[in-house]
Amino acid sequence: MSEQNISVALDRDIRGLSLADEKVAIEVKDWNLYYGSKQALKSINMVVPENRVTAFIGPSGCGKSTLLRCFNRMNDLIDIVNVEGCMTLHGDDMYAKEMNVASLRRRVGMVFQKPNPFPKSIYENVAYGLRLQGINDKAVLDETVEWALKGAGLWDEVKDRLNENALGMSGGQQQRLCIARAIAIKPEVLLLDEPTSALDPISTLAIEELIFELKKEFTILIVTHNMQQAARVSDYTAFMYMGELIEYTDTDTLFTNPQMKRTEDYITGRYG
Amino acid sequence: MERTEFKTHISEQLNRNLEDLFNLVLEMGGLVERQLENAVKALSNGDVEMAKEVLVIDRLINKEEVEIDRLCASVLARQQPTASDLRLIIMAIRIAVDLERMGDEVTKTAKLVVKLSDKGVACPDLPGYAELLEISNTANAMLKQVLNAFARLDLSEVIQILDEEERMDQLLKVAIAKVVDGFHVAQINPECLLEMVYALKASERVTDHAANIAESVVYLVEGRDIRNIDPQKLTEFLNNLK
Repeated sequence: MSEQNISVALDRDIRGLSLADEKVAIEVKDWNLYYGSKQALKSINMVVPENRVTAFIGPSGCGKSTLLRCFNRMNDLIDIVNVEGCMTLHGDDMYAKEMNVASLRRRVGMVFQKPNPFPKSIYENVAYGLRLQGINDKAVLDETVEWALKGAGLWDEVKDRLNENALGMSGGQQQRLCIARAIAIKPEVLLLDEPTSALDPISTLAIEELIFELKKEFTILIVTHNMQQAARVSDYTAFMYMGELIEYTDTDTLFTNPQMKRTEDYITGRYG
Repeated sequence: MERTEFKTHISEQLNRNLEDLFNLVLEMGGLVERQLENAVKALSNGDVEMAKEVLVIDRLINKEEVEIDRLCASVLARQQPTASDLRLIIMAIRIAVDLERMGDEVTKTAKLVVKLSDKGVACPDLPGYAELLEISNTANAMLKQVLNAFARLDLSEVIQILDEEERMDQLLKVAIAKVVDGFHVAQINPECLLEMVYALKASERVTDHAANIAESVVYLVEGRDIRNIDPQKLTEFLNNLK
């Protein structure tokens, strides 16, 4: 073994992921959110890295879903919500007056807890977003539907029954269809709000595996009540408690050596 | 149990992590093998440069142990392995400890070569030399066997490995007796004899660690802990595996 080989091997970096080395997809600065007079998010500061899976964990009511909904301005639909601070997507101010909310939501897709396919065919479910954008060219639609269904790991199961009603699919298939529908319009970011809480363990593992694959093309944010799921699928994990971001770091570190006592107490089941 | 079973999880990430773990342990074992080969060459030829390389490789081995620990901690914390996956993680940690200690022990033979060279003494002239060479060569053969057993999850050579370890215990006693006799010979430097004792004991420890790894592989494959088991029952159990 040459001296050079030995020194190269000794210098080999065994560090895990680090936010400092990542490209930024979303940046959140001094973010506050109020439901009427009640403050639900308190001074959140974070960067969401590109092409990574970022998970939000924390007890019920800690604000994780509220924060997730801020990333595609779903909270705009609630009258009593007021927000302060700055949130940018690839440098664009998501809350600027000139920002078109519909176009923002094309850039930031979302999948919800309960699968919510439209009562239409499998094909039309996936093509829906494209048709809304005015795309009706059959060749383009066919190609995109196939791409999205393949991306959602569903193509082989449904390619021979694309015209069947989506409501006839199993829960796990419906959820993957919703993911296919979300990625069909090629968003930059995909928000997943407890995407597997209504699914059986095997469908859950299939979705988790899908999430791992999808991050190659999309930036993914996931809210989950299932801490183990966050540990399995995410690259970075944010622990929230009572509207505050308590700890946010790479998932390996958060689950093996959290720096904050509250995080440690929560992930070890000592949270009272 | 087949090694390919560790690649059949729905989670590709878990498949990859477990495969990486197998490879890291085998890579670490390969470094210890190389270290042992170099130590034997250094001993046979009085080659000081070769002995120094043994010391450098030891640093690489220590680093591999850190990598294995990090990966195991990550898989435990993030993927909640169970059954054979859990046994693999626990055994990989144990095997890494054994390999790291083996590496440390081999450096003692290398240090013997360096010190004898400093004093201008030829290693083959010392009592215990032939035994040291035999124990080191046997340790290397045992290590190859246990690494094969781990790589293929094959327990067919475990009995032989455990038998060899006992034979080395006996050989060490013979060697130490010869070295003790050497203390009565005025022409032999007692410091060199002491170094020989250290190297002999260290080489025998290498075979102990190889036997430990064999036990770990049995636990991994069969889920049975054979440490401290009654020798007769152990023989029965291992024979039944065939």
